[in-house]
Amino acid sequence: MTDQLGALTTIFTEFYYWITVVLMFLIHVGFCMYEVGASRYKHHQHTLMKNTMLIPLVTVTWFFFGWWIYWAFPTGPGIAPSIMNESAALITDESTFSAKWYMPNTEFMAINLGDHISGVFWAAFLLFSWTAASIVSGAIIERITTFAFGILAIAIGSVFWTIDAAWGWHFDGWMLKILGYHDAYASGVIHAIAGGFALGVLMVLGPRIGKFSSSGEPRNIGPRNPWLVTIGLFLIYTGFWGFYAACNIPIFNLGPEYGMEGVTYWTATNIYVTPTTLSGITFNFLMSLSGGLLAGYWIAKGDPFWTYSSGLAGVICASAGNDLYHPIQAMIIGMIGVVIAYKLHYWVERKFKIDDAVGAVAVHGYAGFVGLVICGFVLNGYPSSGYSVGAMWDGSTYASINPLGQFIGAIIMFVVLGLIPGYVLAKILHGMGKLRIPREVEIAGLDYEMLESAKSDEKAVSSATR
Amino acid sequence: MATVTNWIDHLSAKEVAGAVYPGAGSSETLLVILGIVLWIGWHVLTAKSESEKLSRLARKRHSANDHKSNITEW
Repeated sequence: MTDQLGALTTIFTEFYYWITVVLMFLIHVGFCMYEVGASRYKHHQHTLMKNTMLIPLVTVTWFFFGWWIYWAFPTGPGIAPSIMNESAALITDESTFSAKWYMPNTEFMAINLGDHISGVFWAAFLLFSWTAASIVSGAIIERITTFAFGILAIAIGSVFWTIDAAWGWHFDGWMLKILGYHDAYASGVIHAIAGGFALGVLMVLGPRIGKFSSSGEPRNIGPRNPWLVTIGLFLIYTGFWGFYAACNIPIFNLGPEYGMEGVTYWTATNIYVTPTTLSGITFNFLMSLSGGLLAGYWIAKGDPFWTYSSGLAGVICASAGNDLYHPIQAMIIGMIGVVIAYKLHYWVERKFKIDDAVGAVAVHGYAGFVGLVICGFVLNGYPSSGYSVGAMWDGSTYASINPLGQFIGAIIMFVVLGLIPGYVLAKILHGMGKLRIPREVEIAGLDYEMLESAKSDEKAVSSATR
Repeated sequence: MATVTNWIDHLSAKEVAGAVYPGAGSSETLLVILGIVLWIGWHVLTAKSESEKLSRLARKRHSANDHKSNITEW
């Protein structure tokens, strides 16, 4: 860096993403608290460790191959040509944004005085990966082995979500070109896929002992520590501010980027490099959160667990188009998403005996899916990219946002990259006898040995007088 | 192993090399292989110990409320 303005822009961008990572860390803290609060005492410590250990498991695999996948797969491969090299093959050539630079043994995956962005951008995406895996974690508490969860966390966190991000959350992604897919703040690319993946796992894993009566009626296993759940969800809300900011590029000159001769236009953009403002998305974040809370409080009749979750579901539902919506549109979309997600949760629970312990499939999966579909109608006709505008199915240009493209996109996220891989992997783990803990352990409690080993010390302490 | 031995020389070079970690340009692939071995090893070790723990606990057939006797002070 040799000129001061360029240096300032670079260092600002570096610091911007770094701050988003710190904020998003709170999402994981929140998920841990939320899950422990929802689990029963005899499973608390196992529940906590399961979610905590996804941090290193996903991080290391994200370093080894997850980040590479994101940069290599925008073309499919074989579905639509890249705008960088006009080839539909994996992007591993010498172009600027090639996956070649993100192999774990390249000099850009380390401290490099010539690169201030790769590390913080890698980390921002990594925190999305943790979120995807953490969403799955909550749904399956109290009965999955840590080994199985580790494998599933790596699969969703470092493989399937990064494929969907390459396809539908990359300026060069084939879903933008062929379908006109738009998902600015990840209704689908994080939430719908993780919800679908969790549902696929739950279909194989089965319910917790006692969840359903002998006649098949579901029983409520409410949160054991509502205060921990409350703080957890507030922390997730807080972390979502970082999530939203991380989905933007803070400062970009779109004139030369779009090839407009003599035009200089500095702005923040979304991940697709189309203009938005951090200020504008702040309106929409808060209004969709409010819409979710209002609808959740109403439909759950004031139940705190669902009301808090609905705030999140409101944001998730509106996220696909929150870079362009009017705040009141965002609020209404959040409300619609919550009502559908809540109703679907209980219908699926009764009909298919699915035990989603924290409502993760509903809050993330159904609300995310619905949000994508609604976005197709409300933003119908907007360009999915600034580089070019073309027809659907063409592939060499970018299709406009449209209802059919968004619906197909939602199916790809929830079913193709979420539910099916989750189901297949859970089946394999089940076949190996590694998916579910033994029935006797589930009854005794996963923390039994830990509690028992501390018993003599605990007894001595409780009877001590000095 | 040191990639930089004098910052003044390094930063005044015609073309400043960005990578400054120890072993830059020669050790990366080896480090990745080492990382993968550690990663796989961790999975093998923890999967084995978890299986043993679950089998041991399952054999004892505790009831749903037995854990309460392990908690002496609420």
